[in-house]
Amino acid sequence: MMALAVARSLLAVIAGPDHADFLIGDLEEEMRARTGTRAGWYVRQVVRSVVPLISMRIRSGEFSGLVAAACFGAMLPLAILDRLWSLVYSQIPLKDGFERAPAYLALNVIALCCCSAGAGLIFASHERPRLLAIAVALAAGLAMWSAKGSTPGLYVVAVLVLAPVSAVAGAKFTERKAP
Amino acid sequence: MVTRRLFVIDRPDHFLYYVEIVAKGEALGEFEHLILLAVARLGRQAYGMQVRREIAERTGRDPSIGAVYATLERLAGKGLVTSSISEPTPERGGRAKRSFELTGQGMEALDRTRRELDSMLEGLELPIRGGAAG
Repeated sequence: MMALAVARSLLAVIAGPDHADFLIGDLEEEMRARTGTRAGWYVRQVVRSVVPLISMRIRSGEFSGLVAAACFGAMLPLAILDRLWSLVYSQIPLKDGFERAPAYLALNVIALCCCSAGAGLIFASHERPRLLAIAVALAAGLAMWSAKGSTPGLYVVAVLVLAPVSAVAGAKFTERKAP
Repeated sequence: MVTRRLFVIDRPDHFLYYVEIVAKGEALGEFEHLILLAVARLGRQAYGMQVRREIAERTGRDPSIGAVYATLERLAGKGLVTSSISEPTPERGGRAKRSFELTGQGMEALDRTRRELDSMLEGLELPIRGGAAG
């Protein structure tokens, strides 16, 4: 029963609110019609449905707001700031290593919060906040992973917490303003 | 000459079965064709699981409900099928059912695909001599 409940929840998440009801209903009906059908059949159906259902939702453009918010709100600003630091650093003679100054990292966090909030305001006003937060955090994580130089733990935590929070705050602000 | 076989997508035992032969423009993909035929056969009874069952019984394939549903959604986007939502029933755990029906455009697409296949098969003797099986 536990496996069934988990599979049902997974299906509800991947199918989205528009389709989950019909799909779960179809599977429930089939389970009742087939006597002796085990939970394994249900779970296999759900697992095999993950790829087609996600690609269906991507094709329908359902995630375009999330992707735009993640790119413009987190990935792009961090990439630009990283390039800017590279340019500044290249002008300094007799340097050792590639360490970003703490003040510059703090500036990164502030700029990132502003961009994430702006992206939340513009792109993802109608998206669900949890998905928006996950998308922005993933994009920020990816940008930090591909950045040059070391990334202090405090900086990573600040980015991974404050960027999604700012994006969600921006989205919530737009929702509140909407009639 | 090197021949590549598309064996992965066509095996019923393949775990993540999903035919990604998406039709471009007006042409029907292989799986789309099967789904449209199943909807045509079932008439007003066509809904996700029923379509899946029809394909499984007639072709021996075992498509997932997600693949069937995603393809039905794509066909609805092309205007080849329409859908209607029925009232929730207890045997479905109190959930509604989405039924699909063929449109005039869908019937034309089936007809066109059949003509194309007939034309390609005309004069051919199967199994083809010198083919993979022969």
